[in-house]
Amino acid sequence: MRVNHILSFFLAPCRRRIISEARNQSPSIFDHPRFPPLKRRMATATYPPPPPYYRLYKDYSENPSSAPEPPPPIEGTYVCFGGNYTTEDVLPSLEEQGVPQLYPKDSNVDYKKELRSLNRELQLHILELADVLVGRPSQYAKRIGDISSIFKNLHHLLNSLRPHQARATLIHIMELQIQQRKQAVEDIKRRREEAQRLLKDAFVTLDGQ
Amino acid sequence: MDIISQLQEQVNSIAAITFNAFGTLQRDAPPVQLSPNYPEPASAAAAPAATTTATDADPTAAFPEQPKQLSADLVKAAKQFDALVAALPLSEGGEEAQLKRIAELQEENDVIGQELQKQLEAAEKELKQVQELFGQAADNCLNMKKPE
Repeated sequence: MRVNHILSFFLAPCRRRIISEARNQSPSIFDHPRFPPLKRRMATATYPPPPPYYRLYKDYSENPSSAPEPPPPIEGTYVCFGGNYTTEDVLPSLEEQGVPQLYPKDSNVDYKKELRSLNRELQLHILELADVLVGRPSQYAKRIGDISSIFKNLHHLLNSLRPHQARATLIHIMELQIQQRKQAVEDIKRRREEAQRLLKDAFVTLDGQ
Repeated sequence: MDIISQLQEQVNSIAAITFNAFGTLQRDAPPVQLSPNYPEPASAAAAPAATTTATDADPTAAFPEQPKQLSADLVKAAKQFDALVAALPLSEGGEEAQLKRIAELQEENDVIGQELQKQLEAAEKELKQVQELFGQAADNCLNMKKPE
């Protein structure tokens, strides 16, 4: 496999001359290789060869079960390019990120109220920061830490609204689909009745003759 | 853009306005007299101010306007955030109510789907019958028309 790869790499500029000669044309000026000769060429990469297990699928068109099945989907954690990934998409809670949680941890938290109160807190802290910068400029770090934790709380609240949004979208889509199906049932009924009527009319006409 | 993404954008823009405001004010602030011992640089300001006419005086003269504008921007952004929060279509009932509704809708969808399937099969059967009869009628027509 590697030999084929290297050969194709080197033969690329010669291929055109061979093809043009096979077609009984004289090699024209367009057939000169556009790249400089081999020893001065930079390393240009060709496409990688196809993975070697293509040979297992030789008889796929005749007998689909003679080839191996595709691998099953991965579950749990997996390593990709040196990084660990998990298959479960869950929003990490604030404590895991080391950020103090400023809104009450309740199962049913009132999002609107908490968002509004966090907004007011944010404005107050910004004003405090302005005061500190005027009066005691060296004590800015704590204020900045407070403001950033408020922002992190805000974003965490908004992210925890996403599952609710997903379910609401699903409900909306299902209602639309039910409506469309009812419409389709009505349409089919109407067309069938119309067809029956037409047939009956045609029958009556034929009988009348 | 959906409402939650708009809210997130609004939060980010509040943060941007804040740090831009503080950065601009810190960069453009005129110097403050630290102690009465050091003379004010009024003599240093008078000489170059005479040479550079009004082009330099405008930013420093307009400086007290900047905090007003920036704080007005900040408050406007915060008000918009509040308006967006008020527009959140949060249906009360929480997760269980939503899941229950989804289960109900799923059952209704199944029932309607079966009825649709039934109607479809009946319609296709009738279509096949009509096609068959039409073929027979056409054949009879062809057979009756003897070439003269």
